[in-house]
Amino acid sequence: MLKMHNVRKSYRTDTIETHALRDFSLEVNEGEFVSVTGPSGSGKTTFLNIAGLLETPTGGQYLLDGQDVSDLNDRDRSRLRNEKIGFIFQGFNLIPDLDLFDNIDVPLRYRGFNAKERKKRIEKVLEQVGLSARARHLPAQLSGGQQQRVAIARALAGEPRFLLADEPTGNLDSLMARQVMELLEFINEWGTTIVMVTHDPDLARRAHRNIQIVDGQVADLRLQSALGEAVTA
Amino acid sequence: MLGYYISLALRSLRRTPVLSALMVAAIAVGVGAAMTTLTLNYMMSRNALEHKDDVLYALQLDNWDPHEADDNPSAMPWQVTYKDAISLLRSDIPTHQVAMHRWGGPISLDPSQNSGGEMRPFTAEARVTSRDFFALFDIPFLYGGSWQGDADTSPVQQIVLSESTNNKLFNGENSVGRTVNFSGTPFTVVGVIEHWQPSPKVHDLNNGSFNKSAEIFLPFGLHRSFEIYPWGNTNGWKPEDINSYEDQLGSEYVWIQYWVQLDSDEQRERYREYLTGFIREQKAQGRFPRPLKFGLSKPSEWLQLNEVVDGDDRMLNWLSLAFLLVCLVNAVALLLAKFLRKAAEAGVRRALGASRKAVFSQHLVESGCIGLAGGLIGILLTLAGLALVRQLQMGYLDTVASMDWLMMLSAIGLAILSSLLAGLYPAWRISRTNPSIYLKTQ
Amino acid sequence: MLELRPILSALWRHKISALLIAVQLGLTLAIVGNATVVIQERIERIARPTGVAVTDIVTAQFMPIAKNYDRLEAFRLDLDMIRQLPGVAAATVSRAPLTGGGSGTGLYTAPNQEIGATGGAQFWGDEHLIDALGMKLVAGRAFTPNDITEASFSSGWRPNMAIVTQQLADKLFANGEALGQSIYFSGEDNPIEIVGIVERNLGPWPNSHNAGSTVFFPAVMDTQWFDYVVRAEPGQREAVAKLLEEKLAERDPQRVVAVNLLEDKLDRYYAGDNTMIQVLSGVVSMLTFIVALGIVGLTVFWITQRQKQIGVRRALGASRSAISRYFLLENLMIATTGIVLGTAAAQIFNRFLASEFEQPALPLSTTAICALILFGISLAAALVPALRAANISPAMATRSV
Repeated sequence: MLKMHNVRKSYRTDTIETHALRDFSLEVNEGEFVSVTGPSGSGKTTFLNIAGLLETPTGGQYLLDGQDVSDLNDRDRSRLRNEKIGFIFQGFNLIPDLDLFDNIDVPLRYRGFNAKERKKRIEKVLEQVGLSARARHLPAQLSGGQQQRVAIARALAGEPRFLLADEPTGNLDSLMARQVMELLEFINEWGTTIVMVTHDPDLARRAHRNIQIVDGQVADLRLQSALGEAVTA
Repeated sequence: MLGYYISLALRSLRRTPVLSALMVAAIAVGVGAAMTTLTLNYMMSRNALEHKDDVLYALQLDNWDPHEADDNPSAMPWQVTYKDAISLLRSDIPTHQVAMHRWGGPISLDPSQNSGGEMRPFTAEARVTSRDFFALFDIPFLYGGSWQGDADTSPVQQIVLSESTNNKLFNGENSVGRTVNFSGTPFTVVGVIEHWQPSPKVHDLNNGSFNKSAEIFLPFGLHRSFEIYPWGNTNGWKPEDINSYEDQLGSEYVWIQYWVQLDSDEQRERYREYLTGFIREQKAQGRFPRPLKFGLSKPSEWLQLNEVVDGDDRMLNWLSLAFLLVCLVNAVALLLAKFLRKAAEAGVRRALGASRKAVFSQHLVESGCIGLAGGLIGILLTLAGLALVRQLQMGYLDTVASMDWLMMLSAIGLAILSSLLAGLYPAWRISRTNPSIYLKTQ
Repeated sequence: MLELRPILSALWRHKISALLIAVQLGLTLAIVGNATVVIQERIERIARPTGVAVTDIVTAQFMPIAKNYDRLEAFRLDLDMIRQLPGVAAATVSRAPLTGGGSGTGLYTAPNQEIGATGGAQFWGDEHLIDALGMKLVAGRAFTPNDITEASFSSGWRPNMAIVTQQLADKLFANGEALGQSIYFSGEDNPIEIVGIVERNLGPWPNSHNAGSTVFFPAVMDTQWFDYVVRAEPGQREAVAKLLEEKLAERDPQRVVAVNLLEDKLDRYYAGDNTMIQVLSGVVSMLTFIVALGIVGLTVFWITQRQKQIGVRRALGASRSAISRYFLLENLMIATTGIVLGTAAAQIFNRFLASEFEQPALPLSTTAICALILFGISLAAALVPALRAANISPAMATRSV
């Protein structure tokens, strides 16, 4: 599903060059639920941005669903992002001006679906996350957990093969966090590949596999089930 | 997608009503100012004789002072002398030719026909002209036609009325054959022309380019019997003893406007030869002391030469374009502020699959919406501006200080174009920002 | 405490927005400066003394209905009647000045000359002329009844005396001794003695480069181009105008009569200049307003963008005034940049207008005054948002945006 080989990413400012990722190699299989942990500044976010086609690597190779996406132009990357990738963020990133319906509508618009198809999909995902009754509410009128469920619904509406989650429960209390986590596991069971960046060792442990990024490289690569003790953040 | 962008734009504009109103106001005021002066300049630059621009010519002859050319851009007198006009009228080369000048006098219904209503005589603006006038300037007749053939040289008391004069005197009835009283003399109506108000008044630019055109038309053969002095400029350079009206007619004073219609190159060439020969002949008799020179200007050239659009008008044009520029810079700054404020949203959209182009288009559409609103308000401001100009000019610019459909569309076009230009950089800037920095929780 | 360096670096990060404001201010200065000189010039032009009693003069013309009409007889009868009317101070038959219609001539100081004439506007009138126009005689004498001839353009009549304006006298005779000298028409040897000099008369065309060079000849001209020039007692002109209309029609109904106030005609003459004044003033005020709004808009935006930063500063001990001062200083620097750009742009724009449209030169003092005013407006526009910024609570520092 996702295959990175010797991916490098460096940022340049006037004075120094920082290497965010160095010879980063990773493979995620179809249907996997992978958690990513690591200390602050280790390159987790950079990895997520590159995986989500928001940034281009400085070097190396990135295959998404078997297609080399390292050198695609913005239009093709945007289309891939739209069709194959769903994002979930710690801050939900719902558009405050738009009600739930219109928020979920955003990726479907860029997909070019007709009005009927969009409506069908929006209603379906809203029902999946249990918020059908709130379709015309604005994000500010919902609790944090509800907002994150909307964000998940928005990520799912385009039926992506691949879901990228960045601290999806970071802003939620434990009860809500658990609900969101259960939702993600449910989605994964239906076949969507999930890569989740998190600080929370409990959450990380619930994934099929945990990888740790330290200093821009994958530190360890073992099956989560084989790992006896917790991986510290 | 356009519909989606428009609905997003409206939503976004509603969300920051003050900022949006500021931008719309900036565009509207800029467009209003620019369109007011552009409309004036456009209306002033119109050429009512466009359709005959290739065949009509205003004639100038240089009979001026040997020591000094006439003081105008053409360096020749604008008008010709009476005696030259009479001589030129004898040429059979031009298809049509007109010698004419402005005049006027009191007009009323003939006393015998004025029995019923009490109609005060009024002063009518007249054009004394040779009979080809209507054919040369393509003026259609409502009733009747021009006067008889010998009216150019003998005092024939026939008159052509404008539509409005005919309405005033005869309630718009066919008045051909009726009699009116002009300057105490009976004149027979031979024709009534349709409404004819070229603006600028290209056929007569030395009596106020935007004044109303004539109300009555009188034959050119009347000069001696009425001792007509023109209501217009009479210029001379030579000390002459004028002891009688005959001396006035035979003088070097210029006061006749002269136009010819020349349809083919061959005709034009022959007429040039004819004029050259005519001036040589006059030189032999001691006239035309300056180097041989004459002018044949197309209507479009004539308007330019006479500087119908004067310096003030053109200066205002530049000034208002500069004004629009300031308004644009203003709009760029405000748009940039507005868009950058929404950078996070653009970042989310990028993550959800919007390409840079999509983000760019979305914001450009938003600018366009501001432009459309600005354009509509700009039209109102332009109308107000033109009304102000009409009032300040005390009626002189009434015929040009008005907006036609073309100018209204141009106003909207200008507004949208301006706002798209203004939106170009901000939209580009927002489409280029790295989305990932907005996705992280700060 | 001036904290220029952090302001500069913050500005540098907003360089495009800051530059846009500066450019706006600069362009505005260029336009306002140039508009101001034009406005000034036109106002001065309109305010020039005309030399005649504009506000008291009523003019009247008639057009006879009959073809052969004894105009001179009508002049005599009308003037006799007019001079008896209540409220009339003086009346003559001549042509109204300052209306855009009249005639001009070339004058010489020696006989039989044809090159190098001194141009002047010419009027004819009787012994009441100076009084009727309300002009001030500064030397010599007015015309007397014996000086006046009845003449027409085709009668071959030549004057033997004239009254000139001081300006024309000085142009003709640079040594200042015009009175008693003779002047001549082009190519003629008939001497015309200057018997009087009036202070001023702008003539028929106040906007011509030659305005103010005017000559008066002692004659009643039989021409259709005449005006009764009637000077009313102060405050009586409307009543006199009404009376004139009535009485002229009453004395001889076989003519079309038109009565006007000279001031209306002068207003009409200056309509173009007046339009320029009004339009340019409108442009100047709208432009300043728009720019001020732009500055308010951007300052507000910057402040909201930096709310958290301001909160942090406040939490770290910055006083309210320090926060306001920060934004005002920022604005000051932008405005200074704009004014510098604008001063240069104003000069360039002025060169262009001067060469293309013969507009007056833009003096540095005008630019400086406009610059100061814009400076003030810019600071005032930034003041309200800057004061509001000072009210941002230090608690903002801990809130996540």
